[in-house]
Amino acid sequence: MTATTATRTEPAPPPTRSKWGLLASTLRAQRKNLIIGTMVGLVWMVGKISVPVLVRFGIDRGIEEGDKLWLWASLVAVAGVLAGTFTALRRFYAFREARWTETRLRERLFSHIMSLHIGYHDRSQTGQLMSRSSSDLTQIQAFVVMIPITLSNLAMIAAVAVILFATDPWLALVALAPLPLVNIAGRKFSEAIHPAVLAVQAEQAELATVVEESVGGVRVIKGFGAESVQGAKLRKEADDIQRESVKAARIRAKYLPAIDLLPQLGLIAVLGFGGMQVINGDLTLGQLVQFNFYVALLVAPLRMLGMTIAWGQRAAVALQRVNEVLEISPEVVDPTNPVDLPHGPAVGAVRFDRVEFGYDPELAVLSGFDLSLAAGESVAIVGATGSGKSTVARLLVRFYDVDGGSVSIDGVDVRDLTVHDVRRAVGIVFEDTLLFHDSVAANIAFAEPEATEDQIERAARLAGAHDFIMGLPDAYDSVLGERGFSLSGGQRQRIAIARAILADPRILVLDDATSAVDPSKEHEIRAAMTTVMKGRTTIVIAHRPGTIALADTVVLLDEGRVVASGTHERLLIDEPRYRDVLAAMEHDAEPDLDVETVQTAPALAPSPASAGDA
Amino acid sequence: MFRMGGVDEADRLDSAEKKQVLRRTAAMAVPFRRTLIGAVSFTALSTLGLVIGPLLVRYGIDHGIDAGDSSVLRNAVIAYLVVVAAAYLASRQQYVLINRAGEGFLRSLRVRVFDHIQRQSLAFFDRNKSGVLISRMTADVESMGELVQFGLLQLISAAMLIVFSLVLLFVLSWQLAIVGLLVVPVIIVASRKFQRDSNEAYLDVRENVGQNLSTLQEGIAGVRVIQAYAREPEQTRRFVQSNRRLFDSHVRSVRVSTWYFGLVEACGIFATALVIGIGGWLVNRGDISIGTVIAAVLLLAQLFEPVQQLSQLYNTLQSSTAALNKLFGILDTEPDVIGGSATLPSSGAVTVDSIGFTYPGTETPVLSGVSLTVGDGERLALVGPTGAGKSTLAKLMARLYDPSVGTIRFGHVDLRDADFTELRERIVVVPQEGFLFAGTIADNVRIARAGASDADVRNALAAIGALDRFDEFEQGIHTEVRERGSRLSAGERQLVSLARAALVDPAVLVLDEATSNLDPGTEVIVERALERLMTGRTTIVVAHRLSTVRRADRIAVVDHGELVELGTHDELVAIGGRYAALASAWQRSQPSV
Repeated sequence: MTATTATRTEPAPPPTRSKWGLLASTLRAQRKNLIIGTMVGLVWMVGKISVPVLVRFGIDRGIEEGDKLWLWASLVAVAGVLAGTFTALRRFYAFREARWTETRLRERLFSHIMSLHIGYHDRSQTGQLMSRSSSDLTQIQAFVVMIPITLSNLAMIAAVAVILFATDPWLALVALAPLPLVNIAGRKFSEAIHPAVLAVQAEQAELATVVEESVGGVRVIKGFGAESVQGAKLRKEADDIQRESVKAARIRAKYLPAIDLLPQLGLIAVLGFGGMQVINGDLTLGQLVQFNFYVALLVAPLRMLGMTIAWGQRAAVALQRVNEVLEISPEVVDPTNPVDLPHGPAVGAVRFDRVEFGYDPELAVLSGFDLSLAAGESVAIVGATGSGKSTVARLLVRFYDVDGGSVSIDGVDVRDLTVHDVRRAVGIVFEDTLLFHDSVAANIAFAEPEATEDQIERAARLAGAHDFIMGLPDAYDSVLGERGFSLSGGQRQRIAIARAILADPRILVLDDATSAVDPSKEHEIRAAMTTVMKGRTTIVIAHRPGTIALADTVVLLDEGRVVASGTHERLLIDEPRYRDVLAAMEHDAEPDLDVETVQTAPALAPSPASAGDA
Repeated sequence: MFRMGGVDEADRLDSAEKKQVLRRTAAMAVPFRRTLIGAVSFTALSTLGLVIGPLLVRYGIDHGIDAGDSSVLRNAVIAYLVVVAAAYLASRQQYVLINRAGEGFLRSLRVRVFDHIQRQSLAFFDRNKSGVLISRMTADVESMGELVQFGLLQLISAAMLIVFSLVLLFVLSWQLAIVGLLVVPVIIVASRKFQRDSNEAYLDVRENVGQNLSTLQEGIAGVRVIQAYAREPEQTRRFVQSNRRLFDSHVRSVRVSTWYFGLVEACGIFATALVIGIGGWLVNRGDISIGTVIAAVLLLAQLFEPVQQLSQLYNTLQSSTAALNKLFGILDTEPDVIGGSATLPSSGAVTVDSIGFTYPGTETPVLSGVSLTVGDGERLALVGPTGAGKSTLAKLMARLYDPSVGTIRFGHVDLRDADFTELRERIVVVPQEGFLFAGTIADNVRIARAGASDADVRNALAAIGALDRFDEFEQGIHTEVRERGSRLSAGERQLVSLARAALVDPAVLVLDEATSNLDPGTEVIVERALERLMTGRTTIVVAHRLSTVRRADRIAVVDHGELVELGTHDELVAIGGRYAALASAWQRSQPSV
């Protein structure tokens, strides 16, 4: 499993069975800092608890008895410095560790996603995987923050309870009675507000849809004077947002003031009952104030406890979703005893032997597919839409494994090679060209980041890309992609071809590398490809008539098998089915009168709001 | 929990701009003034409740406990209970009222900005990136939501709490007040630094979150290429790099808030220590009572939390002001294409009279000196290279823009004088792509005429021969099209688009022919629908295919913003000019079989 395990930055933790297991194994690796964070929290607790005691002594001894007033005042100040410092440290440790958990889980998830077979990616949506790696992890992070903080809060609650009960059990009981209500209110509030917030967000998303379609469809709206129609839609959505927001506000209005004011009941109780005891001489005034202080001190921890429980519930859902992805094991993996590819002057022979394959086991895409290419030979695969043309390429690079039969390169079954070797042996130029947000040079040198400038330029020249690259603002250093320079379809494809050339594969697969290209530029690409294909085994998946001419021979694919093969001219004469397929292609390929169609990628600004920062 | 907000250097407003934004915000908030006054009053009440607590404690201690009078103590307790109950009720009201006012304000802001954007001409949409316009209406308005939900309330109550506590502190004992405030300079300096640093940290985190998300997305979307070249380790390494940068920026931002919170807390306790020390001394001298010291200690405990809140709010306020400023900027843009009052004849020729057009903010004219007349019922094809100005000419003929010079008339009425609603009924533009809105197929057709009945929609679909196609769906014309019409094929989307035009039944049709290819099956149906739609109407078509051009009555060749050739196919081929060259180029590029 070199291709997968090597990508992990740290040794993979043992497989986890449950969502909490996932969290536990992640946190175990951070236990040292988590323990430090908790210890810091304990010191913070001592600082916080000592303040009321010191204030009490300050009042009872310092003021009332006139004894060492300044000593007590100084001790309060020291406790303040201590509490302040450790408040800061406690926060810092909690947040840093939580961010670290999030960071490491995200890396683990990413490298796992990278290692998953293409079959999985074909079924899943980018957006889904994105939200696993962003918003779900943010939920988990928000919970992990609370772990060390809650531990020291619990310690403080326990310590304060002990002190209060030791001072005066009955007064303690009376003072603390309203506090569990704070916890309950906190939890109830979190439970009630969460769906309300989600409802607001859902309405905001609906309004965003109206806005997006109104901006995107502005030509339709202007063309038909439909402004009022969209205006009415927007008003409805804006009203919905307002309604749901006010609903959420009512929930806040019910709970938040209660959470704020419930502790005051404890303070009142202390004043009333405690006051009576002072009058009766059972309690000192300082003790009364101390009680007051302690009750106030417990408010924040108890409120947080309620929130922690609610966050834990949300984190559980998020963990579940993250775990679902991590539990999927890659289906395309290295064999236990991989074989090496033979070396020699003439390599690149390909053989598909009675291949059976279907994405859905019930629906065969290829059945009894045979194809054999000698080293250096080139073939164009032609067939109607859905005949399985592109599948051939996917099986060759082991994006999928065959259900029956075998695929071999230079006599070795691809399943006996390491995944890495197979993929370095085959270079694919995909139908949809993906460029990375990086320089032109880096995009070309994608397969070989160590490539020299000369090698990159040579590849670009061979692909017919050098000239336009030199015309870009920073030539080979121009940054491409979503937030970079946008290129036309033809230019993108020439970069993709250069990328394949630089990888120098034994076998080249061109999955209709000319479909998005302007007719006037098509011949340039064809010329580039002819150069590249010279002496190299090449499979051309042809979607346009023009591409067929690139290959020595043609095979016609129908219902998952090769039904005819030979030269283009031969098939034209002999095969009515070939003529039909070609005629359908012609129709799709009627060129525009326009001279150049430039595809411009919209400048997409990242939206940090949705990235979910706590 | 610590919330962040902040503004870029570029968005930072000077004080005059801030005042301007505040004035306009206040003007927009006028309809909500009653609710707002109510909210502020209730906030004042509930804050007062918080402050009165310590006073009652002092009263109870000094006159009840110290004096040994249990009835005074009982009264103090009862009064305290009443105050808490009143504070709860007032708090509830303040939440509800401030949200009602705030959300009402946001609603009217959304509606006003949206309506204003909709009134703008196409030129406005060309000038402004759609992503920016969308984020104004969504993210920018939503960013103020937090301010409405918590911020305003916190702002008002924190400010009031500080003021009340200070006033009380001075009333209790001016000496203790001064002592307690000795730490204030430290807090002011620290708060300033915190505001600056947290703004910076916020921007840094935002930047890195964006970076990391796009690296993430690139990895997931590009997984096929990455695996095909066996680059998983390299890609993961890149991701880890960006992920670690994000982590570092998170840690920096935590650090910024951490020391500040710690410092404010330490200052609060430190002030308590001072009050006890000096207060004790004053008690011993007999200047103040012990109850005063205790009340001062309790008041001080309340004083420093609102200071923290205000510091955090400062950045949120700044970013909201910046967002409002941008939204007001949109409201300040006057629409440049406005309807007139002249009535239009039911049919007539479209006359383009020596027009020129330059996109606002650019120098080079897109069109100059173009004159032509499209007769009633005539079909004119506009051809020429991309960027020649043919699409612009078509849009001018439908008054999506106004010409910079010259006039365009329908019948004898200048389009600029025409009533807008009537104009949209006479001249209809069918855009290139079949753009779909959320809703059903029927809703989508009805975009063209809001009041149309289901029967009208069916008639329109039938008129272009597309009704059968949609009736085949399980829910017929009431099928939801889903986001951007992912459930309909490209051809079906175009049929919906054509049905809209049929629903309006205009005299003039302006078509921008689709450049993308359709599947062969639907292509035929779309072509037939188009043909039926064009029959009996004046049609101006921006043509990309020879087949379309051949069916036109006349052809206008536009190049470099000028009308270079005008005539029938045969005439133009006979001239041997640009059209002839284009036509033969097309013939040549037709692949030979």
